[in-house]
Formats: sequence, structure tokens, C-alpha cells
Amino acid sequence: MKFSKLKTAIVASVIAVGTVGTAAAEDLRIAYTGYSTDNTFWIGVANAAAEEAKKQGIEFIDMTASSPDSAAQKDAVDRAIDMGVDGIIIGSVDNRAFDASLDAAAAKGIPVVAVDTAIDHSHVSSLVQTDNLAAAGIAGDFITGKVKDGTVLILGGSAGHQTGNARRDGVKNAAEAAGLDVIFQICDWQDACAFETTTNFLQSNPDIKAIFSAWDPGALAAVSAAKALNKLDDLVIVGFDGNPANLVAIAEGEQTATIKQDNTRMGAESVKNLVSTIKGEDAPKVVPIDGILITADNVAEFQ
Amino acid sequence: MQIWQVIAALAVIYLIFFILSPPFRSFDTLLSIFGQASILAVLACGTTIVLISGGLDLSVGSIFAVVGVTVGILLAEYELPVWVAVAGGLALGALLGALNGTIQVLTKVPAFIVTLGGLTAYKGLAEILASGRDLSRFPESFQAIGSGYLMPMAIMFVTALSTGLFLTKTRLGNRAFAIGGNAEVARLAGVPIARSRIYYYMLGGLLAGLAAIMEISKLNFAMPARGQSYELFAIAAVVIGGTSLFGGRGGVGKTLIGMLIMQTIIVGLSYMGVGTSYQRIAIGVIIIMAVYWDVWRRSVR
Repeated sequence: MKFSKLKTAIVASVIAVGTVGTAAAEDLRIAYTGYSTDNTFWIGVANAAAEEAKKQGIEFIDMTASSPDSAAQKDAVDRAIDMGVDGIIIGSVDNRAFDASLDAAAAKGIPVVAVDTAIDHSHVSSLVQTDNLAAAGIAGDFITGKVKDGTVLILGGSAGHQTGNARRDGVKNAAEAAGLDVIFQICDWQDACAFETTTNFLQSNPDIKAIFSAWDPGALAAVSAAKALNKLDDLVIVGFDGNPANLVAIAEGEQTATIKQDNTRMGAESVKNLVSTIKGEDAPKVVPIDGILITADNVAEFQ
Repeated sequence: MQIWQVIAALAVIYLIFFILSPPFRSFDTLLSIFGQASILAVLACGTTIVLISGGLDLSVGSIFAVVGVTVGILLAEYELPVWVAVAGGLALGALLGALNGTIQVLTKVPAFIVTLGGLTAYKGLAEILASGRDLSRFPESFQAIGSGYLMPMAIMFVTALSTGLFLTKTRLGNRAFAIGGNAEVARLAGVPIARSRIYYYMLGGLLAGLAAIMEISKLNFAMPARGQSYELFAIAAVVIGGTSLFGGRGGVGKTLIGMLIMQTIIVGLSYMGVGTSYQRIAIGVIIIMAVYWDVWRRSVR
């Protein structure tokens, strides 16, 4: 009798704890909308965010459009607000689209976290973003570790583009501090430009010892150009992004290194940050995410 | 296909999501379905006219881009009054549509090819006009056109109503059915085919322009990349609604229902956590089913 009473009590308390547990878990429902579902980098962000939400027992709704479409993304955010979710994560296609939606979210008290790209609106409580300057600094330090004198050729993104500028400056600062010369060329993220620029400079300037491209396909173009001139073995070529094709090139010893944005951490941190905000805990305004240096030594881990 | 059948299909689809998803049941959701369908519905009203007349305009997505960028420039750079920018945008849309029609009538190159050329060329034009400029932060009175759900819905209903009246009550509108049904018979009956066709393309361009104005107002920025494959969504709505792709039959009310069917599926599936890639598959299946249903019914008869 006593024993069965104890058993009942145990079962009851287990059920009670279990119910409380699931109740708490089902309480929260967050929506996520990233850049697009046809982009490897963003698939990684979404998967990591979903995993973190699962770990915390939160319902996670991925509303990302299949291609980068700012109107569809704005509709998705509006839909999430209509659904009355507890919080929204936005990796924006265009950060200018959301004023009215964010006003609505503010009115309904739905917190919003931006990932990758800042959104200029008072209601966006925090930003989870790769620190491009610091990440490119890692690339710069890697280059100065390998090359002791000569010139670094930097193939840049678009003029005035915040991301491109930060990546340029990260490498430039490290190279200049180490006493290397720096040549910077704007290439608007165009692979063909990276190829031609590399060819022209390698032919005309024997001092070039290292090439940094602010985007990975540009680094592959530099590899092809250097290969055609038979100069690949004398060069350190570093890219940025960690695209699959570049990882192959690194494994095969053609490209020297790349910097991978830590999209896994970006996804996870944005969920953590949003959940803290929902619960009214203190969440940092900006969560800077470091880059990861990938060379022939560790490339296998990322393939 | 009768319009009541399409309405019944919409009701069934709405009811399915209503039963499956509790948050779907709210009135806000219903509003958002109408509101989010409105921009493409306005564009599709123009597509309906062109398709009924036996034409095809693949370039409306690019006309959309050109008008969006132009209105953006007029507002953000020249800071013209809102009504001037809107009127200019509508006129430009009409002009580009009329240009398609004129080239086609004069050269006798098939509509598919002429407007495929337009699709590419107008896209290029939009990019040149924008040339990387930041066209955003429009005046508040302009933002009112496309923000929220009520104003876009009102524009959608007024557009659908006027397009419907144009098709059924005006001589030019009536001719669209005659030309699309059998151009040769219409010609023998003395219908001015070439001139009428130019007008239909012009209206298609005008409504693409109106849709573009609604969208840049809603987003509060303009970009040449907007409007991509909108022409295909518009054609999908027209076809799901039951307007014949080969001309001569159809109506703008059906298009409206067709667009609402697509939007209900998109909203309903996303409420249930189904991703956009699956939504696309669902819509693809619905397009084929809608046309098959029409073909099958006519063969039974």
C-alpha cells in the first residue's frame, strides 16, 4: 500500500514535471526569415538556428523565400506578426524594407533580432554579425606569417560597400603593420575582374607575393590566373567565405587559405539572443562573430 | 470553367487550412491574404486583358522594374510631388506596353519573342536607370499607397472592377474576346485588330506600372531587381482562375480568385511551417490541375 502510494507519487511528479517542461517549451514560437534557401551560407545559418531552437524546446518556423526577394521577405515578416509569434529573426535581403513591419512588431511587442545585416530601426533589439574587420585581420596575420617582404594584392568588392571595405582594411592593416606594400583594386565582386587584375599585376609586378580576394570565387579566379602564368607555387592566395569549391582548391594546395564566416554560430547566437530578449533578460546589442581560418591543415574538417 | 467553380475551389482550400491551423482562423489572416495578393493581382488584371485578346506579354515584370526605378528616381532624387511621380510612372508603363504591342503589330514577330526581347531589354533599362543609386525613403504620402493591407486591397478591387467593366461594357474591351477567339473572323467583321492589340498591351503595361508603384511604396525603396518572374505568377493566376491561355474566353474576376487561391496556399502552408520550396511545388501542381480540369470538362461535354 505504502509502496504503491510512493509509486503513484513518483509517477504523478514525473508527469507534472514533464508537463511543465513541455508547457514551457510549447510556450515559445519564433519565426526566422533569412536571405534565401538557395544559398549555402544561409542554409547553414537556418539549420543552426533550427537546431538551437530544438535544443531549447522552442517551435521554430522558417519562412525564408527560395530566392532573394525583399517583397516576399517583407510579406513573411508581416505574416509572422499576424500569426502572433513570440519573436522574429531577420537576415535581410534589403535592410530598407522593414520600417512599417517593425513598427507593427513594436506595437505588438514582438522582439526582432537581425542576423548578418544590420537593420536601421529602433525596434531591432540586437544584431548578430560576422566581424569582417577582425575576420579579415586573421587573413592578414596569416599572410604576414607566410610572407616577409614584397607586396600584397587585394582584390576588393564594390566601392563603398561596408563588408568589402572591412575585409580590405583587415588585411591592409595587418600587412602594412608588418612592413609589406599593399595594392588595392576594386573588382565589384566580379570573378572576371579578379582574373584580369591578377594577370595584369603578376605580369607587371614581380614583388607580389600574396593575393587576398574579399570573396572566395575571386580567389579561385586568382588561382587560375596565377596557374596560367606558372606563378602559383610562389604565391600565397587567401579568399573569404569558405565556399565548397575553394575548400577543394585548398585541399589540393592551389589556394592557400580562406576565412569562413561562422554561420553555425550566427544561427545559434541569433536564437539565443532572441530568446533572452523575449524572456526580458539582458541581451547584447551586437554579437560579433569571429571568422575561422581554413588552411590545408584543417580543411578536411569543413568538407 | 465557371467562376463559381473557382470560388468553390478557393473556399475549399481556405476551409482546409482553417481546420488544420488554429492561427489561420483569425480575421487578420484573411486580411493579409487579400493584402499580400493585391500587387500581383493588379498586374494580373492587365495580363488577363492581353491573354483574352490572344496576346502574351512576358515583359510586364521588367516594365514593373523600369517603372519602379523611375518613380523612385522622381521621388528620391528630383523630389517631385507624389502625384506627378505616380502619373509619370503610370504613363511610362503604358508607353512601354504600347511599344511592345506596336513592334509586334508592325513586325509580325510572335508575341512570345517580342515580349521576351522586352523582358531582357527593359530589365537592362531598369539597371541603367538605377545605376547603383540608393532610391529609398519616400515621402509619407507616397508610402500610404502600398502600406498596410487596406489601401492595396482597395486599389486591387477598384482595378479589378474597372478592368472587368472595360472588358464587358466597352466596345474596345468586347473586341478583345472577338480577336482572341478568332482573329480571322474578327478581321472579316471589320474589327481594327492591330490598333486594338496595341491598346491591350498598353493597358497591361499601365497596370504593371501601377503594381510597381504599389510595391515600391510598400517596401519604401526601389531596385531594378524587383518584378522578376512576376509575369509568370500573373499568368499562373490567370490560368488557375480559368481564363484560356489561347484567348477568347475568361474574365478578370476569375483572375482575382486565381490569385487569392495561390496566396491562400502560400499563407496557409507557411502557417503550418511548410517552407517556400514546397509551396512552389504545390502551386505548380495546382496550375496543371486547373488547366487539366478545364480540358477534361470540355472533352466530356
